[in-house]
Amino acid sequence: MALDVETLAENMLGAALPILKKGAEDVESFAKTEFTKIAQTIVSIGEQLTAGQINQQQAGLLLEMQTSASRNVLLCLEGLALLAVEEAINAALAVVKAAVNTAFKVPLIA
Amino acid sequence: MRTIQRAHLRGVLLFAFATLVLSGCAVRLIGDYDNTIDNGVTDLQQKAELYFSKLQSSPMTPYDQSFYDDINARLAVLKSRAASLPKYPIILQQLTNLKSQFDTFQKLDKESSRPIPAGIVTAAESAISVSVESILKLELALKARGKTTMPSVTKARQ
Repeated sequence: MALDVETLAENMLGAALPILKKGAEDVESFAKTEFTKIAQTIVSIGEQLTAGQINQQQAGLLLEMQTSASRNVLLCLEGLALLAVEEAINAALAVVKAAVNTAFKVPLIA
Repeated sequence: MRTIQRAHLRGVLLFAFATLVLSGCAVRLIGDYDNTIDNGVTDLQQKAELYFSKLQSSPMTPYDQSFYDDINARLAVLKSRAASLPKYPIILQQLTNLKSQFDTFQKLDKESSRPIPAGIVTAAESAISVSVESILKLELALKARGKTTMPSVTKARQ
């Protein structure tokens, strides 16, 4: 049995897309929570500076810490995205496993 | 636009599939869950929270160099471990950023007169907490991946 490229691609897409969408939703939820915390802290630093509770140097250092926190959130999102892509590719492979093994007449995908 | 994106994604998937079949390798884009890093970062957070609580409840608490020595030693060990693990540059960079945050807070702590302003402690605690959560979130996602069954690709028999 010959493999049909279009059908194969559509099946793979059908398996991969829901995983990518779910991954995007999870990432969005995490990013929203963490960036909200950072934004609230930045506002608080500004208020403390205005009120004279901290000086300019202290405010600068505290903002530097928030920048590092933002970088770490973005790195986490990068990692979660890689995991989602990885899972999507593997799901696509699982869906076409039978078709490929039948077409090639060897257990190409175990 | 949507059609172009779907066509592009389909092309990427086909390419990935062809590559996998030819190479005979399973997809692994990021390293495995590491229990030592998970526990190490959790312990680090516990120690930091204890120090922050102390500064908040007793703002006259003097600067404690031993706290930073302990944190630095633990972070150095965790960074070495992350550097030695395959496909771990993301978590290594996160640990580097966390170290930078502790360095900054050490400077603030050392140079602040007592009582230390509560706002400094709260803002620093929040930033460090976000970083720790970001590392643990990723580690836990890696742990969850290990529990799912993924198909493996074997080399075609000659």
